[in-house]
Amino acid sequence: MRIIGLNDREVEAGLRSVGLGLTVSEARSVAEALGRDPTVPELFNYDTMWSEHCSYKSSRATLNEFLHTEGPNVVQGPEEDAGIVAIDDEWCVVIAHESHNHPSQILPNEGAATGIGGIVRDVNCMGAKVVATADPLRFGDPYGEDKNHVRWVAEGVVDGIWQYGNALGVPIIAGDVVFDDSFDSNCLVNVVAVGVVKRGEIIKSRAPAGAGEKGYDVIVVGKPTDSSGFGGVTFASEELREEDEEANRGAIQIPDPFLKNVLFKANEALFKLTRDEGIVIGFKDLGGGGFTCASSEMGASAGYGMDLDLDLLHKASEDLPPEVVACAETQERFMLICPPELTPRALKIYNEDWDLPNVYEGARASVVGKVTTDGRYITRYRGIVTCDISIEHLTRGIRYEREERPRVIDLEEPEIAAPEDLSEVLLKVLASPNVSSREHIYRYYDTEVQGNTVIRPGEADAGLIAPVRGEKFGIALSVDANPFYGRISPYWAGATAVAEAMRNVAAIGAYPATLTDCLNFGNPEKPEAFWEFRECVRGLADAAKALWLKGYEDTPVPIVSGNVSFYNESPDGAVDPSPIIACVGLIDDVRDAVTMELKKAGDSVYLIGPRFDELGGSEYYRTVHGVTGKNVPIVRFELERNMIYAVIDSIAEKLVVAAHDISNGGLGATAAEMALAGRAGLGLELDLDAAGSDLSADRLIFSESSGFLLECREGAEEELETLLKGYGLDIMKLGNVTSSPELFMNHKGNTVVRMDLSAAKKAWTAGLSEAMR
Amino acid sequence: MKVAVIQFPGTNCEHETLVAARSAGLAGEIFRWNRPAEELTEFDGYIIPGGFSYQDRLRAGAIASKEPVMDALREEAERGKPIIGICNGFQILTESGLLPGLGGVDVALASNVMVSKGEIVRRGFYCAWTTLRCETPARRCSGSFILDKGDLVSMPLAHAEGNLVTADEDLMERLNEEDQIVFRYCDEGGNVEREFPVNVNGSRENIAGICNPEGNVLGLMPHPERSSFAWQLPPTDSAKSAGDMTAPGPGRRIFESMKRYIEVMR
Repeated sequence: MRIIGLNDREVEAGLRSVGLGLTVSEARSVAEALGRDPTVPELFNYDTMWSEHCSYKSSRATLNEFLHTEGPNVVQGPEEDAGIVAIDDEWCVVIAHESHNHPSQILPNEGAATGIGGIVRDVNCMGAKVVATADPLRFGDPYGEDKNHVRWVAEGVVDGIWQYGNALGVPIIAGDVVFDDSFDSNCLVNVVAVGVVKRGEIIKSRAPAGAGEKGYDVIVVGKPTDSSGFGGVTFASEELREEDEEANRGAIQIPDPFLKNVLFKANEALFKLTRDEGIVIGFKDLGGGGFTCASSEMGASAGYGMDLDLDLLHKASEDLPPEVVACAETQERFMLICPPELTPRALKIYNEDWDLPNVYEGARASVVGKVTTDGRYITRYRGIVTCDISIEHLTRGIRYEREERPRVIDLEEPEIAAPEDLSEVLLKVLASPNVSSREHIYRYYDTEVQGNTVIRPGEADAGLIAPVRGEKFGIALSVDANPFYGRISPYWAGATAVAEAMRNVAAIGAYPATLTDCLNFGNPEKPEAFWEFRECVRGLADAAKALWLKGYEDTPVPIVSGNVSFYNESPDGAVDPSPIIACVGLIDDVRDAVTMELKKAGDSVYLIGPRFDELGGSEYYRTVHGVTGKNVPIVRFELERNMIYAVIDSIAEKLVVAAHDISNGGLGATAAEMALAGRAGLGLELDLDAAGSDLSADRLIFSESSGFLLECREGAEEELETLLKGYGLDIMKLGNVTSSPELFMNHKGNTVVRMDLSAAKKAWTAGLSEAMR
Repeated sequence: MKVAVIQFPGTNCEHETLVAARSAGLAGEIFRWNRPAEELTEFDGYIIPGGFSYQDRLRAGAIASKEPVMDALREEAERGKPIIGICNGFQILTESGLLPGLGGVDVALASNVMVSKGEIVRRGFYCAWTTLRCETPARRCSGSFILDKGDLVSMPLAHAEGNLVTADEDLMERLNEEDQIVFRYCDEGGNVEREFPVNVNGSRENIAGICNPEGNVLGLMPHPERSSFAWQLPPTDSAKSAGDMTAPGPGRRIFESMKRYIEVMR
């Protein structure tokens, strides 16, 4: 395509006429680096690799500035498809976290399904067995102006998740759902996948040492390449506009969990063969950016070039142009780099043992080229060279210095009179779509497949699996972020998301081992949006740094994987800043974990964490008073650390039989949920005066300051109090578990809440199903 | 005693099913569908585990039921060897006619429909723990060999098509009379409530599992392999944290039944 010698308007017109997203200056820099006009396939390769999605061109500097990605337990930081931390001397946990927001807004079912499909490939290609997923979801207001569309999106996304995840055979053990009108025309569908691998059996997503010198084969495995998902990464890197909807649909990939399931088993056979024979291979999934991204990154990260023949790649049709073959995001594909002597056996595993061509029309494994030493990225098609560029130049990407400007946030604390009947208010909060039971959704998810599940959704703040038979250790998983806090303070939204995700795994007795961040924001070319992004990253990094990895003073909990999703914006505006955090917790023996439901009448209940006047963004302010407020919950780092580690220790010492963290809905929702989660028949009687605060009753009950409620094992009260004091925590014994299904809360001699739990259960259970009807 | 856990493309429960069978004292291996079918004769029993064989194309279990490996299994069944189909395995057994084993494809496992107080309250995939009541006397069926009539066994289920239907109205009577209804969904007290959530998928007469007339072939929708260890139980079950990691869960009795059946019958 002609660029040299044309003016900006002509270049722009040329780029747009073929559907390229590259800017004029980016195209000029390509021509300058090549010393000639680039071909159209070359420009598409650059378009793909220099997209925000693949290159992190706006975000990289900020991530490098703030995030701590190293630590004593880190086996692999964020440099490859997934991060890895050690469980013990032998086993490691692999984690990846991504967004699939734009596709899910346009085609909810396919978008969400391919989100899972992509993330499990990222984990599997490290040589790991994928053992769990989690799905943080954000939808618009189900009772607002766009309610019908919002509900259509929400239902489609949940269907896409279960139809894919259940068929694949990976249990969904965690997730969260928040409804907020800022997501009306831009939902968020984040996906987290977790795997296990032995330390010595990790497979790298790069060409092995010697691959260029010895001419290793490059093999593509899986579904035949078609045009689906062409332009996917570019689509993810632009704002959503209604008039583009038709065109954008074509950029969404087509999911196939069945083929993925078969591929995973064939991969397992391949990995076993290479382990048994000590052969080092490179293995990577074909995700965003398709063939171009996988092949160029695998070569470049090892310092090699690639010589690839697109004619050899198996395709769904023979009339695809070269740029489509190279950049389409056809799902269910992997790339293998292996020594030529392994090739026949690798092909046999896929094409004969697992019979891909008969299991799925057109699927197979094909040798498509060689690794080279000359540093060139060469593709050929129909006898001509369609691309011949420096692999390093292509993959290094570009960097933008984005401008930041603090957003003017004009929010006030409301002046409100405390409602007289707090029982009614608590019932309303429990029935709200954001607090009510998540059962309506998680019953669609196969939470039990693989047979490893120890704690399921709805039973505690985090899910727990025992992923390796014969071992006692468990992997806990939780996700968190509160968009309403993001609306008030991006910094505290980042920090509280980290703290809550860590509290969630602590509440079952696991210690937080690593974090991932999926950062969902608006258009970074707008200075306010970029400022929100930076503030969130700063906040979450500060929290990870201050809350420490257990057993290592002054050592941050490492962030080993993550993703940045910009352009979550439509003409109606950007989404509330949403730094969604996932936390992996580890526990030595899964049988020591505790759940949230009340266990026994007579047991004492303790509050951990003083209540502050922090109702900004709270469920109470929004649901009952219709305001956002200003006093967002903050993280008092030392207090938070002491709370988290006191809870972990008290569970390890078997002093606590039930625990639940305090988050949205405050102390009131936490107490009610502990009573509602188990069998009927138990209740609570709590004395709010024991919280040692002069706040009014409504603020005590609904403040979302961080903390926990703990049910103490009978007879262990003194030991628990000693342990809590050892961490410098106040002793706030609020009351007892009772043998009647009622929740009482007393304040200054008055009963301020008296709730029939069987009636509350109906409202709590119906809240979400009504919102998604 | 060696069992084959049959693996079709799309099966996804084979590993935990083999682990559960081994925990009951059975030896075994995973048997890929396109291995030579004659190699099946060396096994003493067969388990068809859950999953989405052939993507549930056409109908759940329909494609797998036509594979050569199923012809081989039919021959082994005629020799009296035990076959247990779990979830998709049950669907494959009904599609192949091995269940209820009266010569044709007489029942189907249709889409779930949850009915409460006369209203449909939910459809589609559902994952939850359930309680099964054994409806047949001990020794009636390979997979319930050591269970007595009235015994309760809890285990999870996870499926979108487990609603047993038939077009043949006389069939239900016959299944009842011939003791071919092995498990029904019930509440924790053993009561067979006809409505959701106890009847979790709308199945006729709360049927969760049936056997063939000879009793060696059993199909059930819930997953005993996900309930074969105590630590897999829900937290409200006090047995969950009792014993070590090998302590049995209630689902193991299905595999122990199979083992006992093989011991007695051979």
